[in-house]
Parts: sequence; structure tokens; C-alpha cells
Amino acid sequence: MAEKILEVKNLKISFRTSSGTLKAVRDISFDLYRGRTLAIVGESGSGKSVTSKAILGILAGNSIIENGEILYDGMDLLKLDEETMHTIRGDKISMIFQDPLSSLNPIVKIGPQITEAMLLKNKAGRKNARKDFNSLLGVLKTNMQEACPSDSAHIEEMAKTFDNFCIEANKLEDSYNRSDSNAQDLKEDITNFLYMHSKKQKQSVKQLVSEQIKKLRNIKDSFYTHGFETDLEKCLNAYNTAKGNYKADKKDPSFVNDDLLAAMEETGKLLDRMSEQVRPNFFRIGYYRMVNPEEDIYGYDRNELNEKALQVLDDRFMKEFLSYSSKGLRNSYDKAEAGKKEAIAALREAETYFSSEIEQKPAEEYAKTLIEKVESGIDYLEVNKDSYAYTFKSSLNGAIDKYFFYVENNPKEEERFEKQTAKREALIAKGKTVDWKVVPKNILDLDELKSNIVKVCRDVRVRYEDQTEQAAPDFDAKAVDIVDYLRDKASTAVYVITKEMAKQTAIKLMTEVGIPEPRMRYNQYPFEFSGGMRQRIVIAIALAANPEILICDEPTTALDVTIQAQILELINKLKAERNLSIIFITHDLGVVAQMADEIAVMYAGQIVEQGLSEEVFYDPRHPYTWALLSSMPDLDTKEKLEAIPGTPPNMIYPPVGDAFADRNKYAMEIDFEQQPPMFDITETHRAATWLLHPDAPKVEMPKIITERIERMKAKLTEGQNG
Amino acid sequence: MDNKEVLLRVEHLCQYFGPTKAVDDVSFDIYKGEVFGLVGESGCGKTTTGRSIIRIYDITSGSVYFKGHRICAGTLSYREAIKAARKELRGNVTAERRAELEKIIADNKVEMEKANIDQKNADKEYGKQRAEEVRRQYEELIANASDPEEKERLIKESKDRIKAAKRSKIVTQIQMIFQDPIASLNPRMTVKEIIGEGLVIQGYTDKEYIEQKVYEMLDVVGLVPEHAGRYPHEFSGGQRQRIGIARSIIMNPEMIIADEPISALDVSIRAQVINLLNDLREKMGLTIMFIAHDLSVVKYFSDRIGVMYYGKLVELADSEELFRHPLHPYTNSLLSAIPIPDPATEKTRVRITYNPLEEHDYSVDQPTLREILPGHFVYCNDEEEKRYKEKVANE
Repeated sequence: MAEKILEVKNLKISFRTSSGTLKAVRDISFDLYRGRTLAIVGESGSGKSVTSKAILGILAGNSIIENGEILYDGMDLLKLDEETMHTIRGDKISMIFQDPLSSLNPIVKIGPQITEAMLLKNKAGRKNARKDFNSLLGVLKTNMQEACPSDSAHIEEMAKTFDNFCIEANKLEDSYNRSDSNAQDLKEDITNFLYMHSKKQKQSVKQLVSEQIKKLRNIKDSFYTHGFETDLEKCLNAYNTAKGNYKADKKDPSFVNDDLLAAMEETGKLLDRMSEQVRPNFFRIGYYRMVNPEEDIYGYDRNELNEKALQVLDDRFMKEFLSYSSKGLRNSYDKAEAGKKEAIAALREAETYFSSEIEQKPAEEYAKTLIEKVESGIDYLEVNKDSYAYTFKSSLNGAIDKYFFYVENNPKEEERFEKQTAKREALIAKGKTVDWKVVPKNILDLDELKSNIVKVCRDVRVRYEDQTEQAAPDFDAKAVDIVDYLRDKASTAVYVITKEMAKQTAIKLMTEVGIPEPRMRYNQYPFEFSGGMRQRIVIAIALAANPEILICDEPTTALDVTIQAQILELINKLKAERNLSIIFITHDLGVVAQMADEIAVMYAGQIVEQGLSEEVFYDPRHPYTWALLSSMPDLDTKEKLEAIPGTPPNMIYPPVGDAFADRNKYAMEIDFEQQPPMFDITETHRAATWLLHPDAPKVEMPKIITERIERMKAKLTEGQNG
Repeated sequence: MDNKEVLLRVEHLCQYFGPTKAVDDVSFDIYKGEVFGLVGESGCGKTTTGRSIIRIYDITSGSVYFKGHRICAGTLSYREAIKAARKELRGNVTAERRAELEKIIADNKVEMEKANIDQKNADKEYGKQRAEEVRRQYEELIANASDPEEKERLIKESKDRIKAAKRSKIVTQIQMIFQDPIASLNPRMTVKEIIGEGLVIQGYTDKEYIEQKVYEMLDVVGLVPEHAGRYPHEFSGGQRQRIGIARSIIMNPEMIIADEPISALDVSIRAQVINLLNDLREKMGLTIMFIAHDLSVVKYFSDRIGVMYYGKLVELADSEELFRHPLHPYTNSLLSAIPIPDPATEKTRVRITYNPLEEHDYSVDQPTLREILPGHFVYCNDEEEKRYKEKVANE
């Protein structure tokens, strides 16, 4: 299975409202894997949007996070401060909202709204990447020095060299890429123009020509243009002549003369030739240039240059650097391993300590030393952060604070509640009408809070025990990994997005999401777009930041099928290209089937069924899933639809038993009395319904679904045979 | 099929907003008692078609006939014919041709006049007719009544009814259900006022009658009388849509135009509303024009389906037939995009894209709506017609 990127554990969220506490999310847990899509299905009010908002840290002000953790990249998102959250939101985790109207600024043109995030995030990203790069290189250096104390000065020198040429190399690459992307854009423009021209479509030529000239001028990287300088000049001249002719011919702005066509064709060919050349390996060349600053390297044959630079880099630097890195990694690993062993012992002790009676002051002191021990078990050179260890400090402190807060608060609340009730009853006894309600008690179970503290310790201990049992990794391979990681960070650190580039990207994104005439649309206001178009803009904005996790909150509900299909395909394509993890919230099961790898069906704040997409569709177990599946027609449905009677329960007073019992025709007595636990059906498939209990009567799912599943299976085998 | 009564006939309907041709030369018939689905992507003009029919917009050109009355008429086509003829007159033409052209101008002027009158007076004429009918009905009743008290009551009632009949508009026989149940209900009116508003506008003053009618309608759509005193915000989405439906059927319409009635609703509620519309159709003999973009629902619900693309009706057929033999490339592309709740199909699905520039060459031969199979129309030119016919024959 792929790596877990996001873990939601025992999340409980409620909202304070004037009529009581609304329990929106009631104890849900799920994992999101890298490069996979998790679909959360359910009707409105089932808590799916609240969950996604909690992940982004944008819950409304009256929300209370009662319990739970959302772990991402070594952080608990629920406990981060706003500033840290800011660097994650939009950049790492992005969201496409349900309502395109409310997610666009009505008085700012579309263009700046798309590019704004790109520009801001680029700036912040550069800073962060540089910081990460520096700190990781620093840790690596210290560890290398500790491993080989005799070579300390040499290592210092090497780290400096690495820093220098790595950044330098990425600057070179950046400039090359810029020219390359300009060339690609121009090529695309020309191809489009010629295609439309061949179909006799009228186009406004004047603006196009100046744009193309601008792009042509922007191809100026010495690596990229070397050997083509004269050709480039020729093309520019051809364009300029063509442009001159247009000034003379003002009557018809869409008129195309032969000069222009010739210039375009010529340029197109040149661009092809340019993009076919061998790409220089900038990482090697960066070093080569550093040691041979005087040499003119543009003239070399590219393959030769790449080979030569590799040799120089390996011989003079890389081999040695890697061997030191490997030693440094081993050093750090050993240290962490020793720290872990100590921490495990300390955590065992802590579990008994926290289970007994505790006082606030000594408990806090105790926690402090414990946190130190746990943190000494962290291997900071591990690229994939272990969320449990990193969040231990905030989780433990949070749990302890909460416990002591309620130790104090519970009696106070009790007292207040009694006073208010007495007052109210006294008024009623006097025969007066009372127009206010007693605010419900804000009381939490102290034992549970305490067990939470113990659980935080136990989770980390189990984790550490697992890790210490594993064999030591291959440090040579890890050394290569860490160098790659540093290179990656360096490339982010130097990657500057200019306004012009942002505009080009925005226009490309707009084309990608299917907005016609993006150049013109770029300068329009949101109200000039139809609903579907607006939603596309919102999607373009979300994608502009190039996030790791994309949360889609019913992104296509407002769109029609063809566009929906386009956008879903677009999201799937991006997912494959960027190894994106997606949380897809929807109520349309057709869409789910297209998008999801895993499905979680939510009802009344709880996950009622969870499993792989095939399992939920071909073998649904929860009556609510059945109801969802049977309430919508597909293309072969003829019979009367089975509507779900009634409406979802009022979550201020959540039902005692199974929340769906009231609307469920398969409900048994126990459903009204006791909440069903999650029953495992397979390793990945689980459902919370008493029907799965061994003692439950055997119930067939509705005919409309069995028939549909049979149809689907028949189609499937037919497809395999044919 | 042939003996079906045509309830609504749309002929060459054009609706232009400035240079934008929202609906461009669309013609179709809707038979009594059927559900006619209209699909297409957003902005293709399906909603505009619906709104033009109930005269929310004044149409640019073409006519709409409802139960034989011309309820909408546009004049652009006549104006253009006159303009073209005048232009030709200005040039060198033979005397024979001149006379011909002058006749064209005169004819078109008459047509234009007629269209204007129809457009303006359709309702008035209908009102007069209705009032006459009601009067005759009551005259008979009053003449037969023996009890003087009863007579007085009847006279009073007849006055009320005749007044209402005079005001009645033929367009009210067509009612609309809107997409957004929240935006389409006035938040400051109670449910009773909202549902009864149509009757009040019609001139009904008898409060008891209105109330009784409202309760009746609430019952029909599955709400209870105690809901009548509440405000729209107190209801869930599905209930609000039911209120919208109740409001549209209180006028006892013959036809309902449902403009994406379930798009804004929750999954579990959608089936309730579809089932309700289906029941109403059976109970009240309603004819429904169902505008939607969710093809599985349209297929489930409609008898015939029209596919629109950029203001044009590109294909029109029985719903079964349309899904069996989709001919126009846009229909194919639309059908290939329907999400189906089956992961295996979805993962192997190939979406067909539609690029009008690639698909058609209309530079020489202009397309029109042609009948390929009985009842199956496709917008195509000669060459395509031949190709489609071959395709159907080969299957």
C-alpha cells in the first residue's frame, strides 16, 4: 500500500448554536494515501464538508473540536497556530469549494485572482525551501562531523561547496526552463493559429502577432539558443515585417497575409529544432562551471559536456560527499535509535504515571522531561517525518491542559447549570412564561480525558517499538536520496515566477479547464461568467498552487455532464501527473465510481461504511448505502425509485442508536437502542450496522441494487471476454 | 403515435440577446401527457427555450402554439424578408420580379401585424373566451336554482368567477418549477401566501376557497396543512421544492416546465421529488417539459428527448431510441460523459469529444433538422443524412 499522507483519528467536532450543541462530526477516522482518491459520500448535513474544513483549519468560529487528530507531515493540523497553517493551506492542501460564487472576489478581475496565489506562494515557497535546505544541510553537516571528527574542517568546506553549486545549478536550469516553456507556448500558439486558419476561422491577428513577438524575444537562455541565434533573428525580422504590413492594412483585423504565415511556419520549425536538442544536466554543469569558471561551455556538444561534467563532479566531489553523507546518516540513525530505546522505557513508565492520580504542576514537569526523551528519538535526517513523534509535544501538552481545564471547569458548569435550572423552574412555578433556555452543560468525562493522555504516550511507544524492531536501512542508498531531496529543495528555492509567467500559466490553466478565449476572459470580472465557467475558474485557482492534497467539495455539482466529465478527467490526469492525493466530497455515486479508489459513506456525522471502491459498489452492506444506490436511476432503471423517507436527524439531539434507524426499513430493535460498532468485512471493507452481527437475521438488499450489480457484473465479464 | 394530440408546438423559435443567439431556429412538438426532456450543456439555451415559452422573454422570431392558440410570436423573420426584398427592389429588376417582391413585402407586413396582435392579445382573447364559457355555465346553474338564497349565492359566486376568468391568461396553463428552491420562494411570505398567490392575482377573493385549495395542494405534494403558516426558511431543500411544485400546480395547469428541479437537491431527496412528479403526471394528466443536464434522470423520466447545442436543437427522438442510436456527434459525446455508478465501467470509459469544426463541413451544404427514422430527427446536411441513414440501416 502507498504511503499514508494524511491521517484523521477519532475526530469529533461540534458547533455551539443558540438552540444547543450541534454534533456535526462524531468520532470518525480515516487515512489518505499518497496518489489515491478517497471519496466521502453522504447528503448535506452528514458532516463531510465540516471534516474537510477541519483539515484546512477553516472551521467556523462557533466550532468546538472535542477530540481527535489530523496528522500531516509530522504535524497535527488541529493544533497548529494560524501562521503555520497559512503556509500549508493552499500550498500543500488546497480546496475546491462547492459554491463558486462565494469563493471568488467579486471586485477583482479573474486574472489577478488566479495569479495572486501563484505569486504569493512562490515567494513564500522560495523562502521556506531555502530554510529547509539550509537546516537539513546543517543537520547533515553536524552529523557528518560527528561521525568523522578528524575531517571536520573539510566537511565544512564541502557543505559550503554543495550549497553554492547546487543553488547555482538550479539557477541555470531555471533560466533554461523558462526559455523552454516560452518556446513550447509559442509553438502551441502557432499550431493553434494555423489550425484555426486552415478551418477558415476568423481570429484577431494584430494582438496575436505582438504576443508572439514577445514570446519569441523571451527565448534568450544561452544554453537554449546556442547555435540558433541567426535563425532566431531571422524569425524576429519576419514577424516584424509582417507586423508592419498589418499597420498599413487596418480595415480587417482578422486578415492574414502570406508574410505572417511564412514567418509562423518558419518559427515553428525553428522551435521544433530547438526543443529537440539534448538537455544539459545542470546539476553536473553547475559544479563544472564552479571549478572552471572561465571556460565557455555553450559551444560543447551537449552529450559530451554532460559526460565530462559528470566525471569531474564524481571524481572531485560527489563520491566523497556521498560517503560522508552515508556516515552522517548512520550516526544520526544510531543516535535516534539509542534515544528511542530510552524513550520507550520512559513512555512505559509514563503510562502508569498518567493512569494514577495526578496533580497539575508535577504532571507538567513530568511531561517536559518526557517530551525531551521522545524528541531525542527523532531522526531528523529522515525525509519522511514520523507524525506521531513530531506531534508528541503538542498532543501531550494539549491533552494534559484539557484534562486540567475540565477538572476545574466541570464542577463550575454543574453549579451554573443547577442555578439556571432552579431559576427557570422557579419562574415556571410562578406561572410566568420563560423565553430563554438553560444553556446545556459543557462537561466532559474526566476518565476519558485521562485515558487520552495515556493513549498519546502509548501511540508513540508502539510506533517506536515498531521502528526499533526494523533492520537498519541501506545508508548508501539513503545518502543518494537525501542529496536528491536537497537538490529538489534547491530548485524550489530559486524558482522565481514573474507576473508575466504567472499570466501565461493562468491562461494555460484556463485553457486546460476548458474556458474559451482565455486571453479575453483573463481581464473580466467574476459576474461576467456563467456558473459553470466560474467553477472552472475556482478549479484553476486551486490547481495553480500545485498542492499535495486536493480537497474537492462537490466541485462538479453545479456543472453539466460534458463539463463535469472534462473536469473529473482533468483532476484524474493531474492526480496521476503530480501524484496528488485527493479527498473528493460528493453525493453523486456516478462521479464517485469514476474518481474514487476508496470510499467512506457518511451519515449523521459518522462513517457508516468504508472500503475500496469496488467493495462498496459491488458488495454494499449498510442499509444507508443501499438507499443511496437505489434512490438514483441509472440508464437501465425502469422501475419506481426507492426514495429514502423522511429527513436526516436533528444533530443537536443525535439519536441514541443507529442514526439511520428512523429512515431504515431494515431497522431492528437494537438499532434504536445501541450504536452499532464497525464490523470488519474484509481487511479494507468495514460497515457499522447491526445487520452484520452474527446473530442478526439475514437480510437481502433491495432488488433494484442486486439487479444493477448483476448487470454490472455481466457487463464486466462480457468486457473481459470480448 | 400519430393520433397524439399536440399540446405545444414550437416553430422556428429564435431568441437573440443582442448578437448572442441564445436559441436559434428551434422547432419541436410536445404531445399531451408526455414528458419531454431537453438536455444540453449550460449556456446551450435550454432554459431560455423554457422561459421563452412562458413569455418571460419576448421572442425574437418564430411562433409558439399552445392548444392551437398562438401564444408567442416574433417578427424578426418577417422584418428580414421585407428588408431583403427592399434591397433587391433598389437594384435593377424586371417588372415581373418587382410585382413579386412587392407582394412579398405586403404579405410579410400583414404577417407581422398579425404576429404583433397575437403576441399582445393572446391572453385577452383567451380571457374573453374563458369568461364567456364560465358565464354560460353559471347562467344555466342560476336558471335551474330554485332556492332564492342559493340563487343569490350563485350570482355572487359567478361574478367572482367571471372576473377571474376574464383575467385568466393562457400562459398560466403552463407553469414553471425553478431550479433553485431557495431563491425562487419569497422569504417574507408564508407558505400559504406563496402557494395561494397565483389565485389571488387571478382575482379570487374568497379566502376560504383559497385556503382550501392550498391545503389540497399541500396534500398532493406530500406536505401537511400545519406547514401552511410557516416561512420557507423553516423547510429543508426537498420540502421547499415541494412548495415550488405546489405553487405551480394550484393553477391547475395543463403543462409544467420543470427547469432542473432536482439539481439543487440532496441525493436522498431527489428520488422523492422525481417520484412526486411522476405521481402528479399520472394523477393530473400533466404534460411536463423537463429541462436537465443529468442524463440518467432524463432518460428515466422522459418519453422523448431533445438535445440542444449552442442554441440549436441537434437531435430529437424517443428516449429509448436516442440512447440506442445516438446519431449526432454531440449526442454521442454527451452520452459518453454520463457518470455511471459502476467503478469497472468508469475506469474503462472512453469519452468522445465533440469538436464542431472537425466534425462538420457546412461551408457548402447548410444543415437542417431532418427525420432519419420515424420520430428521430437530427440536425444535418445531405451528406450527413445519407451517412446516418446508412449507419442506422447497418445496425
